[in-house]
Amino acid sequence: MSDPTTRATDAAISLQEVRKSFGRVVAVGGISLDIADGEFLTLLGPSGCGKTTTMRMIAGFEEPDEGRILLRGRDVVGVPPNKRDVNMCFQHYALFPHMSVQENVEYGLKLRKVPREERRRRVAEMLEVVRLEGFEKRKPAQLSGGQQQRVALARALVNRPTALLLDEPLGALDVKLRKQMQLELKRIQHELGTTFVYVTHDQEEALSMSDRIAVVNQGLIEQVGRPRDVYERPATPFVADFVGVLNALEVRADEVRDGRVVVRISDRERLVVPTGDRPVSAGTELLVAVRPERVWLRAPADETSADSRLEGTVRQVVYLGTLTQFYVDTTLGARLVVHELSDRRASGFVAEDRVVLTWDAEDAAILRVE
Amino acid sequence: MNPAVSRGGRRSLWIFFALLVVFLYAPILILIVFSFNDRTFVSFPWQGFTFRWYREFVHNSALLGALRTSALVATLTSVVTVVLAIPASILLVRRRFFAKGAVSGLLLAPLVIPLVVFGIALLILFNTVGIPLSPLTVAIGHIVIALPFAILTMVPRLERISVSLEEASRDLGAGPLRTFRSITLPLLAPAVLSAFLIVFTISFDEVVVASFIAGDQPTFPLYLFSQLRLPQRLPQVIAVAVVVMTVSSIVVIASEVGRRLADRRLERVANLQQEVSAG
Repeated sequence: MSDPTTRATDAAISLQEVRKSFGRVVAVGGISLDIADGEFLTLLGPSGCGKTTTMRMIAGFEEPDEGRILLRGRDVVGVPPNKRDVNMCFQHYALFPHMSVQENVEYGLKLRKVPREERRRRVAEMLEVVRLEGFEKRKPAQLSGGQQQRVALARALVNRPTALLLDEPLGALDVKLRKQMQLELKRIQHELGTTFVYVTHDQEEALSMSDRIAVVNQGLIEQVGRPRDVYERPATPFVADFVGVLNALEVRADEVRDGRVVVRISDRERLVVPTGDRPVSAGTELLVAVRPERVWLRAPADETSADSRLEGTVRQVVYLGTLTQFYVDTTLGARLVVHELSDRRASGFVAEDRVVLTWDAEDAAILRVE
Repeated sequence: MNPAVSRGGRRSLWIFFALLVVFLYAPILILIVFSFNDRTFVSFPWQGFTFRWYREFVHNSALLGALRTSALVATLTSVVTVVLAIPASILLVRRRFFAKGAVSGLLLAPLVIPLVVFGIALLILFNTVGIPLSPLTVAIGHIVIALPFAILTMVPRLERISVSLEEASRDLGAGPLRTFRSITLPLLAPAVLSAFLIVFTISFDEVVVASFIAGDQPTFPLYLFSQLRLPQRLPQVIAVAVVVMTVSSIVVIASEVGRRLADRRLERVANLQQEVSAG
């Protein structure tokens, strides 16, 4: 691990106003991002949002139309991929089918003219890190999907790159294996201290592994932050919707007091939302969001001290195992999703029950000010 | 009911298949039989088994010369054609460029040009430019004829080699040439071998174009044609034909087996990846 004081200043990778179009289609519309040494950064977004193009520009498979890409401070625009000190883990692994595991992993070292003995040692070390000792002589076709994935990791990491770029590396694995590999990836990254840049459309993957997440939409970064920040304080409606379930209410502010917006709906219903740093005054139209697991379901008669209180009717109940999902039509017209743990304290509401939704002011956020 | 599954239908299909095989291979079988018949006239009745015709052709220097010429032309043609077809196929599969459709059309056009027309055209061209006719000119003609076949053999294989393999190689530090040598070429090798054999075969028995531009050194098929006027030579010619056929069958079968083995290897990887992504 490098010295924490230098970590903040010199980024392993720095993207500066990077733009890329394919014909008339703008793939990346101006992205700036510093990725710190040893960081696990995830580019999260829907397919076609430009996250893969961004990664391919870092690797050198695409050249930006504008902007700079710095690797450890050196501008690499125009440098071919074989001369860049980053390595990539491809979506379908791209293992060389005619080479053994050993040959696959030592490919990069051979090209760097690393002497035979050292090559042997480093390959063995890396196969140990990915837990594939004893598989040296196998061909990729003789390995399972998860094992192929590990070979691909070893093949990239054995070169000790400035950064490892991972392009939806777990997309081809089944759910169980995927969860397992998420933990493995995190362990390997921690063990080696390598900078990981991870591309995915899977928000759960992003939340569980990343130090920071950059949410990408239509070629632009919507928000960069720690997983908790991105999830709990989404900066835009897109982020709120893409990372988690979007529960949004369009309301008009009635009063702003002590950094809180108050919306009075009826004599028994009101919303309280922190202003954050948004310019809000009485009469402003707002889009307010609240996460499904922060909402409590109560019977209409229940007393509550919660800040926000909204009435509605349960329309549908979906049992998901650990969670139960309630779709509730509110008096504001919008439908809210509420998650409740399916434990002994479960409320047991069924469709058509009248309910009250409550939550604390801090659990809601303003997504947009009209 | 599906006629391929019903009992009557299956029997008819088998009969049809047997007739087809007889139709295709009876002439060749007759040829083999007559190559051992101890009679100058190629007709029944059977007059006893002999190796005479085989012995005679081994000492027929004109015939051996024609065989040598053809072997030379076919070797030259197949090597040059394959060497040209590899970059052409890579260009067609991997690159986007201006007028790609037109270029691929031009490369494949010799497939549909009548050989007689092409033979005459080449004769005129060589005369005009002043190139003397020789096995070399035949090889030039054959390269043009065979190039589309070689390209069409390699393109499908190349399309199945994932671009990401080449990208992975670049990513790990290999330049374009090294990537071609270490990744693309080894994976393309079965198709290269197939193309080589197909082109060799095409060149070896091509007679139309060769008849215009062979000059005074006939190729093997040209020699065979010329011998048809002399009935007493016919049994010898048949014996040579049997030898050539046997050798080429062995080569083609061996290469096909090799290609399938290599293909299966690639497919296993592809299947595994599919299974994994389906699960």
